[in-house]
Amino acid sequence: MGTSPIFVGMRDKPVVIWKNRRLWEFSELRKYRELFWMLAWRDFKVRYAQTFIGVLWGVIQPVLTIIILYVVFGRFAQVDTGDIPHIVYSTVGVMAWTYFAFVLSNAGNSIISAQAMIRKIYFPRIIIPLSKAVVGFIDMAITSAILVVLMFVFEVPVSSNILFLPLFIIFNVLVSLGLGILISALTIRYRDVQYVVPFAIQLGLYITPTAYPAEFAITHLPSWASVLYFMNPMAGIVEGYRWAVLGTPMPGELAWVSVISAVVLIVVGLTYFQKVDGKIADHV
Amino acid sequence: MVKSQIMSDRSPAIEISGISKEYTLGRSTASLRESISSLFRKKEKVDSFLALNGIDFSVDRGERIGIIGKNGAGKSTLLKILSRITQPTEGEVKIYGSVASLLEVGTGFHPELTGRENIFLNGSILGMTRKEIQAKLDEIITFSGVEKFLDTPVKRYSSGMYARLAFSVAAHLEPEILIVDEVLSVGDAEFQRKCLGKMDSVAKAGRTVLFVSHNLDAVRKMCDRCVWLEAGKVRMDGSAEEVVNAYLSDIELRSEEVHPSERMDRNGTGDVRIHDVKISNPDSDLIESGRPFEVSVEYQSASADTFHCLAAVGVYKEDGTRIGTLSTRFKDELVELRNGSKLTFKVERLPLAPGKYYLNSFIGHRTEQEVLDFVERVRSFEVHASRFFSESDEIYYPYDTVYFDHKFSLE
Repeated sequence: MGTSPIFVGMRDKPVVIWKNRRLWEFSELRKYRELFWMLAWRDFKVRYAQTFIGVLWGVIQPVLTIIILYVVFGRFAQVDTGDIPHIVYSTVGVMAWTYFAFVLSNAGNSIISAQAMIRKIYFPRIIIPLSKAVVGFIDMAITSAILVVLMFVFEVPVSSNILFLPLFIIFNVLVSLGLGILISALTIRYRDVQYVVPFAIQLGLYITPTAYPAEFAITHLPSWASVLYFMNPMAGIVEGYRWAVLGTPMPGELAWVSVISAVVLIVVGLTYFQKVDGKIADHV
Repeated sequence: MVKSQIMSDRSPAIEISGISKEYTLGRSTASLRESISSLFRKKEKVDSFLALNGIDFSVDRGERIGIIGKNGAGKSTLLKILSRITQPTEGEVKIYGSVASLLEVGTGFHPELTGRENIFLNGSILGMTRKEIQAKLDEIITFSGVEKFLDTPVKRYSSGMYARLAFSVAAHLEPEILIVDEVLSVGDAEFQRKCLGKMDSVAKAGRTVLFVSHNLDAVRKMCDRCVWLEAGKVRMDGSAEEVVNAYLSDIELRSEEVHPSERMDRNGTGDVRIHDVKISNPDSDLIESGRPFEVSVEYQSASADTFHCLAAVGVYKEDGTRIGTLSTRFKDELVELRNGSKLTFKVERLPLAPGKYYLNSFIGHRTEQEVLDFVERVRSFEVHASRFFSESDEIYYPYDTVYFDHKFSLE
């Protein structure tokens, strides 16, 4: 017999509603893993699988970004990227950055867009922003494919550091989710946050070393400002991607600032989400 | 207050202890600027109200329990807490077993996805595993009757098909505790009938059912026990028969009616509101069987817009049994309502037997899904005996509710 639904307490061990609730009810999250995949699959279907323009858009966006970054930074500003052609250099940055931007904006809006579900049914709410991390990989895969083509064309060898790339990808996922979860929870109470996010993402592209080396920040800014610069966790992550893929110099000591700020963001995001968790349905 | 005794040999399904829920009035969201500037000001006192105020009761396994009370008594809030949608401000609930509620029919359906895809999506939202859905897929599809359109995106479905598909997923859940909120399923008799059927089969399998309804007759028939909520508290808890009767006589005592425009216990967005409802018989001062019967509803709106609406008036017997509906829908067209509109429903020969009745009034925006305004027991009226069947004799069947206009033949 299929016992099914919603939340399953055992007969002798009841589900106690709202007492001693921890965020990481891992057993509960595991029980809902199918929902997690279904939500991710739904986003994928709706975004790519059913519209031709969806797939096309997924390719056009990174291509245009890469071209414009090349023209502005590579040609006009003549940014020096050493032996590596500028276009390859910045494409690695775009790969990390587009994932971050995608997850941030989609996870950020996710709770508001799922209002109808939230008002009617129980499931761990955090699954909604979490599921956005999966679809973001499609965009990342498209950008990586572009990168492979470019590296082939410009005969750029792959660094042996590539083994460490998964580490930076995981870090990238965690940071994007941490901030995305924080924003999704903030948006419930403060609706204007959703207008700030697109703007912040737009600015973020410039204050992240996507199309220029992070060294610029260190050489051109006073030291307090370069610490500030590296408080953007993506600064350290983008540098890490490039070290892993292209073998550029290891991220410097200041990259630790990025690590610390990433950890802080993740902890704050999760804590705040937990704080509002039980009342989400009252606000959406 | 009558409290039912929990017998020691029965095991509990739900234990509710000291549940309160406080809502803040006014806007629940704020802008950043407001909250930042409020940091520097003295804390203003925020208006709040208690939707639930110290609820205690428990439900045994296999019990069928009805929850009744006026709109705003806290029924929906209680259900939301029991189904874990929102958290209580105080108190604790223990739930023994899996829970499903029929308030979530169609939740998470995505218009761009096909019927089949939506079955899987909706099923997993309802807590079923892929395997379980796969195992029941054929049954669900047959039950829904939309086989032919299974691979069509549901945005192309008619609202009827959509509802059938949604319901058939929910109907295949096998919870140990089923929660049914009939109050939310305004206006769709087919759906209500299905809900009741599902409830019956769940109850027959010895599982626990929690039934929230305004249909007191259904509560009496379906439930062994009933809890009456009033202003966030348990007013009475006892056998369904006992509680429903007490509730009915209480309604009668409060016979002086509040004007519809001043009623606070209403549902809907309020973009258009029911301002007044008048009942009349153009031929007489009394409402009589077999005579003309008119219901006119006046609307008001704060905006100057025109709203394309579905307007309906439900006719109920005093005990909550639904008799019929006067609706703009039977012509399948929307009426355009604006501030000051007055809509009149005319019945040539009122087919009701003498007795006490009341009306609910409903306006939906385009469909029944978006409720603009809904007021229950907006007007009560008494039907008086008259000559329904023949002009010469007055025939009066005291136990009837509806009079059929009929003939007979003998061979």
